[in-house]
Amino acid sequence: MPEIESFTVNFGPQHPAAHGVLRLVLEMEGEVIHKADPHVGLLHRATEKLAETKPYNQSIGYMDRLDYVSMMCNEHGYVLAIEKLLGIKPPIRAQYIRVMFDEITRILNHLMWLGAHAMDIGAMTVFLYCFREREDLMDVYEAVSGTRMHATYYRPGGVYRDLPDKMPQYEPSPYRSAKELEELNEARSGSVLDFIEHFADRFPARIDEYETLLTDNRIWKQRTVNIGVVSPERAMQLGFSGPMLRGSGVVWDLRKHQPYEVYDQLDFDIPVGKNGDCYDRYLVRVEELRQSTRIIKQCVEWLKKNPGPVMIDDRKIAPPRRIEMKDDMESLIHHFKLFTEGYSVPEGEVYAAVEAPKGEFGVYLISDGANKPYRVKVRAPGFPHLAAMNEMVKGHMLADVVAVIGTQDIVFGEIDR
Amino acid sequence: MYPVKTFLMTELLAGLRLTLKHFFTRKATVLYPEEKTPKSPRFRGLHALRRYPNGQERCIACKLCEAVCPAQAITIESGVGPDGTRRTTRYDIDLFKCIYCGFCEEACPVDAIVETRIHEFHMERRGENIMTKDKLLAVGDKYEAMIAADKAADAPYR
Amino acid sequence: MSVVAMLFFIVVLLFALLAAAALLTWVERRLLAWWQDRYGPNRAGPFGILQAFADVIKILLKEDWIPPLADKPVFVIAPAIVAVTMLLGFAIVPLAPGLVIADLNVALLFFFAMTGLSVYSVTFAGWASNNNYSLLGSLRTAAQMISYEVFMLLSLVGVVILAGSFRLTDIVDAQRGMWFFVPQFVGLVVFFLAAIAETHRLPFDLPEAEHELVAGYHTEYSGMKFGLFFLGEYLGMMLSSAMIVTLFFGGWLGPPFLPPIVWFLLKTAFFVCLYLLLRAALPRPRYDQLMGYAWKFLLPVALLNIVVTGAIVVATRSPAEVGS
Repeated sequence: MPEIESFTVNFGPQHPAAHGVLRLVLEMEGEVIHKADPHVGLLHRATEKLAETKPYNQSIGYMDRLDYVSMMCNEHGYVLAIEKLLGIKPPIRAQYIRVMFDEITRILNHLMWLGAHAMDIGAMTVFLYCFREREDLMDVYEAVSGTRMHATYYRPGGVYRDLPDKMPQYEPSPYRSAKELEELNEARSGSVLDFIEHFADRFPARIDEYETLLTDNRIWKQRTVNIGVVSPERAMQLGFSGPMLRGSGVVWDLRKHQPYEVYDQLDFDIPVGKNGDCYDRYLVRVEELRQSTRIIKQCVEWLKKNPGPVMIDDRKIAPPRRIEMKDDMESLIHHFKLFTEGYSVPEGEVYAAVEAPKGEFGVYLISDGANKPYRVKVRAPGFPHLAAMNEMVKGHMLADVVAVIGTQDIVFGEIDR
Repeated sequence: MYPVKTFLMTELLAGLRLTLKHFFTRKATVLYPEEKTPKSPRFRGLHALRRYPNGQERCIACKLCEAVCPAQAITIESGVGPDGTRRTTRYDIDLFKCIYCGFCEEACPVDAIVETRIHEFHMERRGENIMTKDKLLAVGDKYEAMIAADKAADAPYR
Repeated sequence: MSVVAMLFFIVVLLFALLAAAALLTWVERRLLAWWQDRYGPNRAGPFGILQAFADVIKILLKEDWIPPLADKPVFVIAPAIVAVTMLLGFAIVPLAPGLVIADLNVALLFFFAMTGLSVYSVTFAGWASNNNYSLLGSLRTAAQMISYEVFMLLSLVGVVILAGSFRLTDIVDAQRGMWFFVPQFVGLVVFFLAAIAETHRLPFDLPEAEHELVAGYHTEYSGMKFGLFFLGEYLGMMLSSAMIVTLFFGGWLGPPFLPPIVWFLLKTAFFVCLYLLLRAALPRPRYDQLMGYAWKFLLPVALLNIVVTGAIVVATRSPAEVGS
């Protein structure tokens, strides 16, 4: 009886469902997969090495581009690490702004994930509904920082600029009647905070729409229930974090168990799954959307009532305001020093992690006292998830590989850095 | 109830009904180029070199922007200008290297280099991605009113 | 009808079908877009209708390439088979009283013969492509199609029992009292699902879904050959809709304020739009789930439908009617 060899298929770098550049070499027997071997590195950009050659603030832009669907959370991890080494804490208003934008980023990421995952499994309409909401949130990013993604908004010591009082509005056009224009601009008639509040009021109805299309859908359940099951012990051994871990039943969220910024003063729940399959992780992330909306509402309420500075006063770390810089000699000198040399960070090593939408995004920073880091190591949440791909996919079929890649929320920017 | 629901495929029909309902909602499409998406005054687009109201160029070749650029996209050479003051002889921004982060704008002490809200630009020939000083000044001169209004709107926050 | 009139009708129908299939690409893109909160193509011509022509011209002008080691005659014939069989299938559809190309007394079986032949197209395409993954994809597709064909005919046996004949004009006439979707609701649902699988549309479109497979049976095709596959798919969609309308929804029957052919066209258009709505709203089951659903659920339901219909007809009709 001749030995049956497995059939090797290259789920190649160019593939609509590969979520970036994933080269997955699958050894299959018929339709069932025996081994999955992810080949990574096709998006390696030497971020960590580049960070060693640049002053601290100039690497914030690199952090944005790591997990390029959850931008501000990555910045947050890096900025927290620097602040820990410097021993500073941003003003309270900056902390609330950071938390609010972290949650907005979480919504952005989960919407992108939901759209891509649903589209891979076939429900193409959910993709477009999710992206409609992302447009509004990207408009918020743009109002506050100037770009729709990659904001470089957080700085060690706070955030760069305060929230503007005006939200950009739609212009009249030959295709929009006056009434339509007024309806479109209704949410944008106040400040950014009013717009965010309006969004948070509208958003739960939209989540209900996505759930109507997917949660009870028998085809969706057939595709995701009991696929990619990970037991809680195994999840912890593999180094999972975030919704992957919570979907398996482990109650661990950095926002509750190692709180940073003002998360300990906010009121929210963390959803935890039961079976550890794709369906549970889907439910966990959808519920996280609702909880993020709750957090955003609380932050907006606080921010509306409490104006204040958004950057610390220490002129050795944060540049002065431009009016001061143009008048005062000391401020001018601080400005020059900070923008050419940057600030020096005391010697030491620190690890700071945030609960990014995909899991625990950590930055391990080693400083030798200079204005450039000695080593920046980024702990990307997707890396251990992708490493577990073989285990999660063994024994399943080819179509399940697509579902598992989707549920792991793989974004190649952070895996390859 | 469950067999009835299963055979009549109620939840699938609910999904179909929701999709049908979206036939009548307002579409999210912005019909470019007649309509544009709203942009804030902080938008980081094409760079420009500004002048003072009396016509003198603002840039004093302090090279702060060159030092702070994370992508090292700005190249500056300085010398003595025609009116005897310190000016740049060469100010190049490589738009392909630039990451449009806005640090140059933050660093400039005299508000010379700014990022305008122009995002619709293209290059047609090799080499057009390098914005030389005269191109940057030309952009600045052409759009000065818009740039001044945007920077005035943003000034209270910086 | 005289020979000349029949020939004229055939030519008109042929052109109308091909034009309709081309326009259906535009309708699909527009409708799908409207359901997804966006506009579809609306720039080329009024309402973007010229987009359909642009697509046709594009596909005609694309490089028509045959893989070097492919089986040439088979490779070329494969897409033609599906287009031809689907067009032939329209020969039996009664558009209006008296307006049918071939009023066969085994019209229903002819329809199944044509859909059966279209499976060859898929198999030939995969085989002739000289590509491992295309072959696998085409075999899977062929397996899907023949599995669903099994109960496609069985689901219609109920209709045949109620109408007493395989002739489509007789079936439409038999619905003058009540359209067959009321007593044969189960048959309608089973037939509809089978028809979706035959034309491989979402939710049964595994053959086309690049997300699931590494390749599909039409990977190596380009240019008009590829266009013919899609023409075949759209024609299949229209044929299935026309058959559903004829068999279950009264064909051209309707209140007299509109001519019968208009009723037929309206009803067919409704079902085509239903196909599109299913594509927009539903995810895709996995291959083994799809086949399991067919063999383990739909086939027994179709058989049950036959038994129950037969029993009720025997019980309720007079002995003189039964057996006619």
